[in-house]
Amino acid sequence: MQVTVDVKGETTHEVDLPKPTYADVLRAVDLSPHEVSVLVDGRPVPEDQPVESSEVTVLRLIKGG
Amino acid sequence: MTDLSLSPTQLDRYSRHVIMDEVGPDGQANLLDASVCCVGAGGLGSPVLAYLAAAGVGRVGIVDDDTVERSNLQRQVVHGDADVGRPKVDSAAEFVTGLNPDVTVDRHELRLDADTVTDLVADYDLVVDGSDNFPTRYVVNDACVIDGTPFVHGAIYRFEGQATTYLPGGPCYRCVFPEAPEPGTVPDCATTGVLGVLPGVVGGIMATEAVKHFVPVGDPLDDRMLVYDAADMTTDEVPVAKNPDCPVCGDQPTVRSLDDVSYSGTCAVE
Repeated sequence: MQVTVDVKGETTHEVDLPKPTYADVLRAVDLSPHEVSVLVDGRPVPEDQPVESSEVTVLRLIKGG
Repeated sequence: MTDLSLSPTQLDRYSRHVIMDEVGPDGQANLLDASVCCVGAGGLGSPVLAYLAAAGVGRVGIVDDDTVERSNLQRQVVHGDADVGRPKVDSAAEFVTGLNPDVTVDRHELRLDADTVTDLVADYDLVVDGSDNFPTRYVVNDACVIDGTPFVHGAIYRFEGQATTYLPGGPCYRCVFPEAPEPGTVPDCATTGVLGVLPGVVGGIMATEAVKHFVPVGDPLDDRMLVYDAADMTTDEVPVAKNPDCPVCGDQPTVRSLDDVSYSGTCAVE
């Protein structure tokens, strides 16, 4: 499955994985589920669920102030 | 352009606001009547406090339990070299009153937690969160949602910043980030560094949201998160939708009191 992964504030990646979960997609772009939220249509999706969208948005959890 | 609610000195000080059709004397009077709690007097809190003070926000609360370190001064512009070692609430309060004597400053030298946040939030019209840790971010979110207090969120990381605004009835921080990362998995500014001017831009956006809220004017960031990349000098927006399953603001919230959440670890709602 081909998925466009838009890491906001950084880079957009194209990944091609067989039946990926959202966690698989994150690993493919070298991100940990601990450090980001994966959004589809503006809502977070569980990382262990199979990817159902060809486009996902990834937002870093950042704490600096 | 004259208005009896503004003194001649205030009409002079705020003249560039007063002559704007979108602000005018009424908008300026709204700012003078407003109260804002600024959580954190660090990188983001510094520009927030400076611009809220300059804008004439009538009462400003400053919350911080930290003291000024020399390594802060590369970005935390309300503190000076002579303030190293002093409580940040003191040097920040002096900056605010020095800039604008119209502003009443409340100093809160403490770290917000479930025991202290509720009364504090209820005492202000709006909260601006420029804190530097996840427990504070989640406790501020949950307290504001439960109390119905709007808040502006901002965060920074190396060259990247995020900002969004919560308004009662809209999506909250937990709608985007349901829980915090495990402690130690996300680096802080001390570990990765941060471009010194970055909080100036992001904090300026946060202050803009606060000022717009009170005037009122414009469109808030209440259903979107603004992402700023200083390296590429680009901005992006992420639509943010209310999560019906959100434990704090969803259709059937399970968090009705801060006692329902442990604000340590991932701040998760079990």
